[in-house]
Amino acid sequence: MTIQLRIFGDLRKKVQQNVEPHGVPISLNLDASEIENIADILEKFSIEKNETSHIFVNGIYAGFTKKVKDGDRVGIFPKNMGLLYKWYFTRIEDE
Amino acid sequence: MPKKMLRVDMTNLQAKFEDLPSEFMALGGRGMTSTIVAKEVPPTCDPLGVHNKLVFAPGIVTGTNAPTSGRISVGGKSPLTGGIKEANAGTNFAQKLARMQIAAMIIEGKHKGDDYYLLKISNNKAEFMSANKWVGKGLYEVYKNLFKEFGDKVGICGVGIAAEILGAMSGLCFNDPEGLPSRYAGRGGLGTVMASKGLKFIIIDETGAPGVEIANQEVFSAGIKKLREALSTHDVTKPGGALNSYGTSVLVNIINEAGGLPQRNFSSGQDDRSQNISGEAKAEAIKKRGGVRPHFCSPGCVIQCSEVWTKAGGKDPVGVLEYESVWALGANCSIYDLETVGELNRACNDLGLDTIEAGDTLAVAMEGGLIEFGDGKGALRLMDEIRKKTPTGKILANGTEITGKVLGVTRIPTVKGQSLPAYDPRAIKGIGVTYATTPMGADHTAGYAIAPEILGVGGQADPRDPKKAEMSRNLQLATAALDATGYCLFIAFAILDIPEGLEGVVESLNGVLGTSLTVNDVPVIGKQIIDIELGFNKAAGFTSVDDRLPEFFLEEKLPPTNEVFNVTDEDLDSVF
Repeated sequence: MTIQLRIFGDLRKKVQQNVEPHGVPISLNLDASEIENIADILEKFSIEKNETSHIFVNGIYAGFTKKVKDGDRVGIFPKNMGLLYKWYFTRIEDE
Repeated sequence: MPKKMLRVDMTNLQAKFEDLPSEFMALGGRGMTSTIVAKEVPPTCDPLGVHNKLVFAPGIVTGTNAPTSGRISVGGKSPLTGGIKEANAGTNFAQKLARMQIAAMIIEGKHKGDDYYLLKISNNKAEFMSANKWVGKGLYEVYKNLFKEFGDKVGICGVGIAAEILGAMSGLCFNDPEGLPSRYAGRGGLGTVMASKGLKFIIIDETGAPGVEIANQEVFSAGIKKLREALSTHDVTKPGGALNSYGTSVLVNIINEAGGLPQRNFSSGQDDRSQNISGEAKAEAIKKRGGVRPHFCSPGCVIQCSEVWTKAGGKDPVGVLEYESVWALGANCSIYDLETVGELNRACNDLGLDTIEAGDTLAVAMEGGLIEFGDGKGALRLMDEIRKKTPTGKILANGTEITGKVLGVTRIPTVKGQSLPAYDPRAIKGIGVTYATTPMGADHTAGYAIAPEILGVGGQADPRDPKKAEMSRNLQLATAALDATGYCLFIAFAILDIPEGLEGVVESLNGVLGTSLTVNDVPVIGKQIIDIELGFNKAAGFTSVDDRLPEFFLEEKLPPTNEVFNVTDEDLDSVF
């Protein structure tokens, strides 16, 4: 019962101490039973919403209320990596 | 002093300065190149024949102290697409040309025989020299020697070995600030056009140049101040922001996470080994092994997304490894180590190749069984086939479509003969619409810019929603306008979020030109440019049938999202 979480760039400092400043993403498995949506993941690691830019759930561009479940893959990027052609995307929310 | 045009007649080896026609006075960059190409080049001509022309034009503010504005556009009829082409690059060559008040340089005619020439341009003077001694040599060696011969203050544009065999994936190579042959107006085979005329290098020496004339210094200064402020404070473009920290290949992990980073000749949109060639991994590697990061492509850039990648120990500098290059030569070929990608990029720079077309071509060659996917050494051997001008090399040098057909590959990722860049159109459909409909052939930069809220980009923006025509159109218009200014497309991130930044851009244009443009004029300028380009292509024989993606994007599901490209033909035809 896990969610695969991938954390990128500066946000890696939130989930792991002593990380190299510019290294590759940190991948970790979360217990899905205690997580309902993206906001829960952010809260778990004390990540403020305004510290994030792109969030993906299984490749879908997602917002903070997007629900996540067992087996999902979640990627969270920091604010300064907001490089997508964001006008091609809109966040998918569940509420 | 009025702006000038330099007309270079390769048939008779004559070059003369002309007054810039008054109707061209407010043009720059892509606006200038497409206008002149449409006016002077017969649309049905042979791209490598006597009637095609190659037009160079710095942007409107290029050569001034406007930040991040060192772009040059080059236009002509493309031997790859058969349509009009504009390719651009960031390089001090652009700034030098602008400061010499040369608003356009037109290379025309065709020299008979096998000799190659070098054109040296200095203040009010242009002279030809033999370039035969550089034929068959790699550009790293040649550029080093050219700087030795002409002094380290000159700017260089050149074409490589691939252009000598008229390979349609040859780009135009400009120098970076270190003198490396690494800044390319790469796409569409314009390097081949230059070589076909017998011209191998252009050397520009700006000693004594008068500088760019600015009609209203006060308006100009106020404008660039606003833009500099926007660029310096926006999270993506500021010093320490993502572009500055990681370079353009910060996009590797982002697009991989979006399921749209093409792998293995567009057969999947995600592979986590891609993180090994990401911008983050590269920045870390440069810190450990040597090289320079961040770096700038041309003086005066605030963003500084560039770098100097080297071999371990800081030896044998390559230049920048861009997102598109790292993807094309890496993930798309199932090659996931930076060492190999760096050496492939070096080979491309050395031979004079567009890295996107080269990477797509290698992937198609892998699918066709010439070598295995992931075989980096094999890929480097194929580059050597081009260097040795073997029959295999000559096929490869003609790009993805020809290589695919020769090898019996049916999954050939091209539009109008030009190969697709690093975003799979099944996962990101809006960019697929742009690939299909831009007059340029598959080109990611054709629809890349400017605030939707400002320019009225409306409608659904869900990447999976197939209704994308209006958004793609508006982005293409905005991009065409930006390509005329001389500013880098990456200023879009800042002026998208900070309205004063966009105002500053428009004010800086008004300052140089003495005009009174407003933000609302931006899409109008873009439409004028695109209409000219569409008109050329129509006269060259293009129809709506050419505005389509290859069938496999419509039929084959892309893992992991299992999407297909499902934008209707009707929607595609409604873009223009």
